[in-house]
Amino acid sequence: MTEQQEKRLALIPTLVENSPNRQIGRTALMKYMYFLQTLRQVPLGYRFTLYSYGPFDSTVLADLSVAESLRAVTSKTVLYPGGYGYEISTDEKAKWLKQRAEQFVNQHEKDVRWVMKKFGKLTSAQLELVSTIIYVDREEAKNGKNASVKSIAHKVHEIKPHFSETEILGFAQTLVTENLLQTAS
Amino acid sequence: MTDAHKTYEIRCPVHGFIRLNDWEWNVIAQPAFQRLRRIRQLAWTDYVYPGAMHTRFEHSLGVMHTATMLYDSIVRNSAELLKSELAYNEAGFERDRQLVRFAALLHDVGHAPFSHAAEELFPERSSGEIYVHEDYSVAIIASELRSAIEEHPLNSNYNLRAEEITALIKGDASARKTVFWRDLITSQMDADRMDYLLRDSYHAGVQYGKFDLHRLINTIMAIPFQDKDPRLGISEGGIHAAEGLVLARYFMFTQVYFHKTRVAYDVHLRRAMKELLPGGHFPRPTGAELQEFLRWEDWKVLGLLNGGSGGENGERIRSRNHFRQVFHTPEAPATEDVEQLHKMKLRLGALVVAEESAGKSWYKTGPLDIPVLGDIGKNIVSPLSTHSSVVANMKPNNQVFLYVKPEDVPKATQIVNEVLQQ
Repeated sequence: MTEQQEKRLALIPTLVENSPNRQIGRTALMKYMYFLQTLRQVPLGYRFTLYSYGPFDSTVLADLSVAESLRAVTSKTVLYPGGYGYEISTDEKAKWLKQRAEQFVNQHEKDVRWVMKKFGKLTSAQLELVSTIIYVDREEAKNGKNASVKSIAHKVHEIKPHFSETEILGFAQTLVTENLLQTAS
Repeated sequence: MTDAHKTYEIRCPVHGFIRLNDWEWNVIAQPAFQRLRRIRQLAWTDYVYPGAMHTRFEHSLGVMHTATMLYDSIVRNSAELLKSELAYNEAGFERDRQLVRFAALLHDVGHAPFSHAAEELFPERSSGEIYVHEDYSVAIIASELRSAIEEHPLNSNYNLRAEEITALIKGDASARKTVFWRDLITSQMDADRMDYLLRDSYHAGVQYGKFDLHRLINTIMAIPFQDKDPRLGISEGGIHAAEGLVLARYFMFTQVYFHKTRVAYDVHLRRAMKELLPGGHFPRPTGAELQEFLRWEDWKVLGLLNGGSGGENGERIRSRNHFRQVFHTPEAPATEDVEQLHKMKLRLGALVVAEESAGKSWYKTGPLDIPVLGDIGKNIVSPLSTHSSVVANMKPNNQVFLYVKPEDVPKATQIVNEVLQQ
C-alpha cells in the first residue's frame, strides 16, 4: 500500500462511522469521495469522469475491495423492488486501518462530517443527480463559462433524462443557496 | 479521391474480418493513427511470452469491432427502453453507432511508447494532476484527426464533430445523452477489456483470457431501474458468460499482466525512458509539444536503446538481466501481511531496488458487479454476485512485489527467510 492509498482507505471506515445509520452504499461511497475531493479539496488523487450515473472512478471501488480484504469494512447486497444496493459497515480492523493514516483522518474528519451533514440523507439516485450537477458546474467553470442555474439543469437533464428539469432545478437551486456551485447564480 | 461509399475488410486473428467504411479507412490512414503500428500492446511481455508482440493498431480495430457488436445488440435488445428513456429514434441509433465506432477506434491513439509501461512519466498539469493517455488521445483527435473526421463526404449524413468523440472518451458533460454509451468505451465491461483479454491471450499463447464473447454480446442490454436512468447490464442468460469474463480478467492479471518478470521490465523501461526523455518526462499534449510527443514511439526508443542509451536500465533490457523478485505478499494481503511487508522492507533496506503493487497497475482488479435482469418476474434486477458464488467470493489483487539486483539475490533471500521464520 502506498501512503496515498492508506489515506484513502482510512477514509472509508471514517465515512461509514460518521454516516447517519453507520452504514453506506457503494454509490454513496463513490459520491462522498467525489464531494470530499471536489467540494472540500481533500487530496485523494481520484480521477472522476462522467457517466450517466454521475462522476465515477473505478479506483474508489478497488479501494473498497482492499478495505474489505483487510476486514476494515464489510459489505452485503440488498435487493429491493426495481433495483439493488450494498450496505457497507465497519469491521474488526477499522481502527487498525484508520491508525495507518491517523494524522490524515484527524485532519479531514471535519470534512467527512461536513459531507454527511450536507448529503448524508440523500438516496443513491439523488446523490447521482447532485454529483452530476456539481460535475457539470465545475466543467463550465473550468471552461471559463458563467452558466445560469437553468442552463445547468438543462444540461444535466440531457445526461440524466430520468429526472425532470423541474426536479433538477430544485436540487441545483439548493446547491446555489449553499454556495456550492461556482458558475451558476 | 476514393469512392466514399466503398467498404473495406481487415483480417483480424481474434474476430475474423473487421469491416470499415471509407470514412474510418481514411482516419486509420492518418499518420497519427498509423503510429499505433509502432506501439506494442504489452510492452516487454515478449521477454516472458515471446508471442506477445502485437500492437495497439490491431487492438484499436478490435475494440471498434467489439463495441459495434455490443452496440447493435443493446439496440436490438433494448430499443423500446432507449426510445422511451433517452428519446432515441432510428436515425439517432444510426448516428450514435458511428460515434461509438470512432470513440472505440480512437480511444488509445494517445498511447506513449510501449503502452502503459512508462505512463508515470506523463507531465503534470498546472493543477498538479498528472496527464493520462486519454488526454493525449483527446488532443490528437481534436488536432491531427479533426479534418479526416469532419470533412469526409460521408459526414454530410451525420455532421459529427471531433468534440463529440472526445467528450465520449474523456467523460465530458457535452456528451449529453450519448454519455450512456460511455460504458462501452471505458468501464468494467467495456469493449476495450473484452478485446484485450482475448487478443492478449491469443498472442501470449495462454488460455487464461478466454470467455464466451458472443454469448455476452447477445445478452447485453440496457437495464431499467425504478428510480434511476437505465444502465448497461445483461439478461439472466448471460450470467455464466459474464462469470467467464471475470475469471478471464483474474487469470490474465495474475499470469500475464502482473507476472513478476514482466513487471520488472516495466520498471526498467520506465527508468530507461526517464533518461531518454528530455527533462525526464513526456512532452505535454498541447501545440508543438504534441507534435514532439507523436514522434515518441517504440521504434524511436528501440533505436536509442540499441545505440547504448538508457543507462543501467537500458543495459538490463538489452541483456535481459532484470531485477529479481525476492518477496511477495499474498494476492489479497490481510493486516498481518501488510505488517510483515513493512518489516521485510525495513530489514532488506537498500537492497530493495523496486517495489511494485498490483493496486497501482493500470489493469484494475476492483469489483465487477454487473446488473442482471431476471428472466422470471417483471424487471427484477440483481447484481451478478448474487447469482455467482465465484464472483461473490473473488478478492481484488493487491499483491506487492519486492525486487533486488540479481547479484544481491543470495543475501536478500537469506534476510527474507530470517524474517519469515520470526
